[in-house]
Amino acid sequence: MKTSGINRREFIKQSAQGLAGLTVALHSGKSLFAAPHIQNSKISQNVFVLGIDGMDPHLLKAFVDRGEMPTFKKFFESYYFGPLRTTLPPQSPVAWSSFITGTNPGGNGIYDFIHRDPKTFIPHLSTTRSLGIQKSVRLGKWAIPVQGGKIELLRGGQPFWAYLEKEHIPATFYKIPANFPVAAGESSIISGMSTPDLLGTYGTFTLVTDMDIPDADQFTGGRVVRVRPENDTIRFALEGPPNEMRTDGRNTKIDMTVNRDPWENVVKIVVEDREFLMKQGEWSEWIPITFELMPVLGRVHGMIRMYVQQVHPHIRLYISPINVDPLKADLPISNPESYSRNLAEDVGRFYTQGFPEDTKALSHNVFSDDEFLHQSNIVLDERLQAFHHEIDGFQEGLFFFYFSTIDQNSHMMLRNMDPSHPLYEPEASPAVKKAIYHFYRDMDDVLKKTLSRMDASSTFILLSDHGFAPFTRELHLSTWLVENGYTAVTDRDKIHESTYFDHVDWSRTKAFAYGLNGIYINAYGREPFGSVYPTHIPQIKAEIIDKLERLRDPKTGRRIVLKAHDASRAYSGPYAKNAPDIILGYASGYRISDESVLGKFPRGIVGDRRDKWSADHCMDPQVVPGVLLTNRLVTSPAPAIWDLGPSILKSYGIEVPREMDGKPILG
Amino acid sequence: MASKKIKIDGELYHKAKQYAETAGYSSVDEFITHMLEKALSDIEEGGDSIEEVEKRLRGLGYIS
Repeated sequence: MKTSGINRREFIKQSAQGLAGLTVALHSGKSLFAAPHIQNSKISQNVFVLGIDGMDPHLLKAFVDRGEMPTFKKFFESYYFGPLRTTLPPQSPVAWSSFITGTNPGGNGIYDFIHRDPKTFIPHLSTTRSLGIQKSVRLGKWAIPVQGGKIELLRGGQPFWAYLEKEHIPATFYKIPANFPVAAGESSIISGMSTPDLLGTYGTFTLVTDMDIPDADQFTGGRVVRVRPENDTIRFALEGPPNEMRTDGRNTKIDMTVNRDPWENVVKIVVEDREFLMKQGEWSEWIPITFELMPVLGRVHGMIRMYVQQVHPHIRLYISPINVDPLKADLPISNPESYSRNLAEDVGRFYTQGFPEDTKALSHNVFSDDEFLHQSNIVLDERLQAFHHEIDGFQEGLFFFYFSTIDQNSHMMLRNMDPSHPLYEPEASPAVKKAIYHFYRDMDDVLKKTLSRMDASSTFILLSDHGFAPFTRELHLSTWLVENGYTAVTDRDKIHESTYFDHVDWSRTKAFAYGLNGIYINAYGREPFGSVYPTHIPQIKAEIIDKLERLRDPKTGRRIVLKAHDASRAYSGPYAKNAPDIILGYASGYRISDESVLGKFPRGIVGDRRDKWSADHCMDPQVVPGVLLTNRLVTSPAPAIWDLGPSILKSYGIEVPREMDGKPILG
Repeated sequence: MASKKIKIDGELYHKAKQYAETAGYSSVDEFITHMLEKALSDIEEGGDSIEEVEKRLRGLGYIS
């Protein structure tokens, strides 16, 4: 893989310096495992994989060194722990796609959370495309579907479990990221990151209130329903998915009523024909709801959790994003279809949206830090119940289980661990200040449980897709490209108000920012309004790379971009041609600004990060390596996330396919 | 623009005729023309609108 070719030396150097002493591989030979249970003699061993999104090697080691994570400590003393090289860029869909396919991004085509269609310039989610109901016929106001909605998984390459299936090795994946929709096959899979809510978004909460909420119309990932109580009765409609069976596309809805006790902080909430008595501060269990698309013939099933934030003097009712109901899933969230249903029957309903922790509610101050923490704990409690159920019932083959809580909480709550962080809140509660530690500590129990289910022949892998770093300053990359003459504009006075590349003069544009780490050259013959001939591309790329690597933050004097990578040297494979031309590896503390991601042009070049989403990993891979723990000898000095799929195949004696870049690294 | 004729499979024609009648189209030609226009529009538009993509990404937290 070319990525490793250009980064390897630097990475090893960085690892040797910055992560000195982190790698532990003593292999005392003392077994931590006790429970043999291979039943099928064709299967040589069981493989247990824990995927812990965002677990950081430095933080993990620091917590272990405090002596408060006994199982990790014991594991470190006996087996391997070290940094895991992650992808360029170190974004979750990119890294997990690399894990799944054993390839660099050029082998699976996932380079960012967001891609653009080079023919139309319309943006799309990198891993999934939802096309709604494709064909319908009109009957009055109804459109009758001839063919159901189409959801495509855009990740290329073969998942490593496809090769396990050829050998009939059973495999179970709980919440595997970047794998929605789940395809049919022998493996049992529930989809994780990239699974939408019922509105087709990554999560849209609803706040029902009679209060004025500042900037409510600017909310992203959430919506405010403004109500007016009449004699302590509040009626409102909860909007569901667009009704694609109606030719006017009107949204579906369910009617809800809140009856407020005039004196006590208690409400009765009526949802469809059910009543829920709740007091202030209380969370409901999952409540199934049904949106009617057309009488008798079409319904969509969802579920919500409600949280009564406040009853008097103002009502504030938080309603979770409308999740796909695992008991009646209308979207392909699992294979077999019965997997999600059976699990929900056994352990109860659970969040099915890809990233369930409601970071948006915290970003918009709908949640306090403590409320966000409480909701995160609900997510984790559900996840732990599923984990215990699944691992207790595991028979043989491959077991994969994924946790999102550390990742989402690190984005939002790391600031409260660090008094030097600009958004540190000294008055935060002890629980908030210790939140990250407690979530790491919870993983110690998960590790202990997993090890107890292994026998001496089992292989164990714990990985994270990236680590974390503070995100306190943001680069308005799109504006920098304008100021430096690479993105041309038609009206300079209007660009700061533009949305999605309004006022860009494509005939004179040489390059533009797109996504969280990418810059594209406006290449003739590739982009819809391409103006740069192939012979000029290398020079323009070299100029931009040079300037960005020399760019300094005027406030701190620090470098903003640690390394700007020329994609033509970084990627190889059938999808390499789809890559952005330059990938920016930001230094610790820096990332692209939100606005620059999708063609807005904020004022200035560098600004303070003010959102509580104030730690990140969309930086250079060497800034945010992941974590690897394994009970096997590691034969590479710098193991990478794309090596793990091939390593799993080899552990079953399966030849590593030629299209995989990764190499088996477990002895 | 002058209309053109195309050939389609007989079975497909009969299926289209059934749907056209059910949905109240005045002719099979009108139904097939509508279906083709919709299919081509989906291809040209590439599926998601900009607003839909922004909505989904914003729910993810990485952009606001």
